Amino acid sequence: MVRNAKSKKSTNQLLIEQMMTKVATISQDIEKRGQSIFGQGNLLTLDEINDYSLEFLELFVLLLQAGEKVDRRSSEHKALRQFFSNFSQQIQIRGGNLEEFVRFIHFMQDVFLNNLETDSTLDFQQTREILLLLASVFNDIILDVFHVYLAEKERTIQAQQEELKHTSTPITEIWDGVLTLPIIGTLDSSRTMSVMENMLARIEKDRAKVVVIDVTGVQAIDSQVSHHLIQMIRAVGLMGAKAILTGIRPEIARAITSLNIDLSMVSTRATLSEGLKEAFALLSITVLAADVQHH
Amino acid sequence: MTMLQGMHLTPIGDGIILLEPTDGLDPGEPDAYLVPLAGTLQQMRARRLIYDLKNVPVIDTLYYAWLTNLASICRISGIDMVLVNMRPATAYALALTMEDNPPFACALDVNRARNLP
Repeated sequence: MVRNAKSKKSTNQLLIEQMMTKVATISQDIEKRGQSIFGQGNLLTLDEINDYSLEFLELFVLLLQAGEKVDRRSSEHKALRQFFSNFSQQIQIRGGNLEEFVRFIHFMQDVFLNNLETDSTLDFQQTREILLLLASVFNDIILDVFHVYLAEKERTIQAQQEELKHTSTPITEIWDGVLTLPIIGTLDSSRTMSVMENMLARIEKDRAKVVVIDVTGVQAIDSQVSHHLIQMIRAVGLMGAKAILTGIRPEIARAITSLNIDLSMVSTRATLSEGLKEAFALLSITVLAADVQHH
Repeated sequence: MTMLQGMHLTPIGDGIILLEPTDGLDPGEPDAYLVPLAGTLQQMRARRLIYDLKNVPVIDTLYYAWLTNLASICRISGIDMVLVNMRPATAYALALTMEDNPPFACALDVNRARNLP
């Protein structure tokens, strides 16, 4: 009789019944595991772990109660996924490990699977359907957690790239009216834009007369890079300052001549120090050693 | 100060004339301004024309063509032309569209333009 009654119930109802009879054990197991994972690293307090465990069980029951079958588009399903997204975000912000978090989700799934094993009233078909249901729900959750993790990583990488962009082209006022701009790495369109914006603003702010652009750290030059350099030099000129290009290594010089790039209108010097001497000469500044000054 | 259509001209000493364009200047009609301006500059015995861009936020192709025309007239008349007070954003946008070096000099401000060699 019991078997017949159970066979008429939907998979969702069967799972709810199972959970209800052993809710205390399930909740206790999840909390215990949560404490061993998140409590040791001080990622979550005991209260937070308990709250998260209870909230998860509540949302899961709500999802199962929403219909005979789990609907991925239902608000209950979205709420459960949102819960895990927020949970994983919090763990990440506090320096937690994604792998451990995924293991925790697997453990939650295992708790339900263990319950199935102990329930002898379920037939093969019912057990199979519950297994499929659990796999589907928990796979979605794990995928969401991965999406959140990747999005967070992406944001971090972008922030680091922005920071690198600023620190890799430090504009320094090396003398009154003389700015130096060492360029390291490659000069693509987006970097050129950012460097040009910063440089032109500095020319105006520092009332610079000369800008020494040093390309010693530029590994390779192609027509696009040289085009960007020429644009930068023209922009400096439009602001009323003089640009000096320094640090053109032999390979770069060879590449420039092979590409038929005309740099005749650009003042070039072999090294940064030569460029600085040229800048001082333009400003009629003479730098003498201290002993020469005494004589 | 001398007023011409679309601009103010102010002699600031040593044959240097400061040109401040007004809102009435239409860069699409260079012929309306170039001849009277060249005549006035000759009367003023100008040797350098300082064009103040303080109130010019954008230099598009039309405005750039006007500046190029003006620079040509100045060159023929033996006058140096210097642009001053270009905003960083304007310089940035202009540098991206320019294909050749400009036919005029540039300086950060009027004082620097006066002291150019």
